[in-house]
Amino acid sequence: MKPLTSFMHSVWIAENDLRQSFKSVRHVVWSLLFPIFMMFTFSFRYGATGPDVLFISFLIRGIVGMTAMFGSINETMSIVWDKSLGVFDRILAAPVSSTSIIVGKTMAGAVMGVISAAVLLIIGSMLFGVSFANIGAIFLIILLASFSFTGIGTIISGLASEPREAMMLSNLLRFPMMFLGGVFFPTEAMPMPLPYVARALPLTYATEALRAIQVANTSIVLADAVVLFIFTVGTMLLGSQILMRIMTR
Amino acid sequence: MENAIEVEELTKYYGSLLAVDHISFGVKGKEIFGLLGPNGAGKTTTIRMICGMLRPTGGKALIGGFDVSQKPLEVKRRIGLVPDISNLFGELSARINLEFMGKLYDLDKKTRQERIDQVLKLFQLKERQNDLVKYYSKGMHRRLTIAAALLHQPEILIMDEPTSGLDAQTARLVREIIIDLNKEGRTILLTTHQIEEADRLAHRVGIIDQGKLIALDTPEQLKNSTQGMRALEIKILNAIDQQRWIPIIKEAEGVENVFLAEGKIRILSKDLPQMIPTVVNLVDKHGGKIENISVAQPTLEDAFINLTGKSIREEPMSKEDYLKRRLSRTGLR
Repeated sequence: MKPLTSFMHSVWIAENDLRQSFKSVRHVVWSLLFPIFMMFTFSFRYGATGPDVLFISFLIRGIVGMTAMFGSINETMSIVWDKSLGVFDRILAAPVSSTSIIVGKTMAGAVMGVISAAVLLIIGSMLFGVSFANIGAIFLIILLASFSFTGIGTIISGLASEPREAMMLSNLLRFPMMFLGGVFFPTEAMPMPLPYVARALPLTYATEALRAIQVANTSIVLADAVVLFIFTVGTMLLGSQILMRIMTR
Repeated sequence: MENAIEVEELTKYYGSLLAVDHISFGVKGKEIFGLLGPNGAGKTTTIRMICGMLRPTGGKALIGGFDVSQKPLEVKRRIGLVPDISNLFGELSARINLEFMGKLYDLDKKTRQERIDQVLKLFQLKERQNDLVKYYSKGMHRRLTIAAALLHQPEILIMDEPTSGLDAQTARLVREIIIDLNKEGRTILLTTHQIEEADRLAHRVGIIDQGKLIALDTPEQLKNSTQGMRALEIKILNAIDQQRWIPIIKEAEGVENVFLAEGKIRILSKDLPQMIPTVVNLVDKHGGKIENISVAQPTLEDAFINLTGKSIREEPMSKEDYLKRRLSRTGLR
C-alpha cells in the first residue's frame, strides 16, 4: 500500500474519532470541567498583598500540562469502547493496515490533548491574566507531551479487556501523575523519595518545560523536550506492540 | 471454475481451547452458502479468519485466489462483512458513517457520494440519512450495516447471523435483500443458527458443530441423509410444559430422537408404524392425552439432529462456548 494512502487512512480514522468526541457537547464540557474546577480551587491562594500571582502563573501552566494528559489518554481509550461496541471490527474489516489504525488513533489522542490544553490556556489567560511567552514553544511541548500521553493511553487500551478495567487502569496512572507531576506544587518541595518518582513521569517534564519557557530557560526546555521525546517513542512502541498483538491475533 | 472462497484445514486455538477444528469447504461464485450451527459452534471464528480479522492457528483461506494470511488487504477489498451486531458509530449520522467507510475503501469523493446516495435509496434510509445512528431502530441498524458492507461493491458478501434478533417483518426484509443481492451476482457466505433460514436461503449448507464441519450439501440432500427416518409430531393436551414429556417419550422403543419444535414434540424414528402405538401407550400410561398427532416430512433440523445428536435450538451456553464467543466476537481477552 502506498505511504500516502496509508497516511490518509490514519487521517480518516483520527477525523472520525475526533468527530465523535466533538459531536457530543456534553462530552467536551465534562472533560474540560475537571481541570477548570481544579484551576479555580487551587487558585485561592493569597500572598501578603493579595492573590499569589506567581503561584497562579505556576498553577495554570501545570494545569495546562495536566489537561493535555487527560485529553490525550481519554481520547485514546476510545479504542476500548470501540472494541466493546464492536465498531473497532468495522475498521479491522476494512483494507487498512494495523499501522494506519494505530497512527490514526495516536493522531486523534494528540490532537485532543493539544486542543484541551489550548482551551485551558485561553481560559487561564483570560480569567487570571496569566501571560504566555513563546506560544510556538508551548505548542511544541504540549504536542510532544500529548503524544507521550497517547502512548500511555494505547498501552492501557491494549491491556484492558473492557471499559471499566480501562478506567481503573487509567486512574491508577493519571491521578498519581497529576499529584506527583508538579502540577500543583514543585516536585523539589516533595518529601523523599517522591522527587525521584516524579522524574519517572512524563507530566513532570511537560509542566517543567511549560514553566521554563516563560523564563526563557532554553536548556531546561530542550532537556525536557528530549525526555518527552524518549517517553513518546517508548510508550508508543510498547503500546503499538500490545495493540498490534490484539489486532493480529 | 475456481471457488470464490476456498477454506483448507482452517484451525483456531485460543490457548488450549479448540474453536475451529480443521475445517475445509469451498464456496462457488454466485452461490449462497450457509454455515449452520448452534451458538459457540465456531461459525463467527471461521468467518473472522476468512475476513482476515483473526489469524488462523493452522490451515488457510483463499478469497478470489488471495491467501488471507499473505494478502489480507487484497482480501478485505474484495469482501463486504456484515457482522452479527450492527457495529456502526452511534454518535454519527448514517451518511457520515457511510462517508467514513467509503474513505477507508479509497473511494474518491464523487464515487463515494454517488454510492452513498445509491445504497441509502436502496435500503430506504435516505430520509433519515442525517439522523444519528443511535436513534435508529434495530431494523434500520441492520439495513445500514448491510449498506455499509456494499458501499465498495464487493464481489463477496459475508454475513454473520444476518437476521439474528430481528422481528419477523424485518428478518423477512433482510432475507429478501440477501436473495436480491445474490441475483445481482454476488457470492454470499452466511452463518446462521436458524435452520429455516439456511433451508430457505442457502444453495448449499455446511453443518458446523464444536468447531468441526460435519456435513456439507444442498438442503435437499441433507434432508435425504436422514436415511429412511421419518418424523412424527404430537401435542399433549393441556400440557403447558411440553418439554417435560421429552425424556419420557425418549424411553419408547424405536425412538431415535425427540425434541421440541414450534411447540410440538417431534419424534424421529426409522420404524414409524411400530413406534406410534408405543408412544401413544406411553403418554397414556403417564396420564397424558394426545391432542394432535401427524406424520411430517424430514426437515433440515431432523438432518441436523441426526448428524449432531442434538437440537440446534437455544440451549444454555457452556463456559467453553461462552469463552469462544467472547474471544471471537469482541477481540477481548
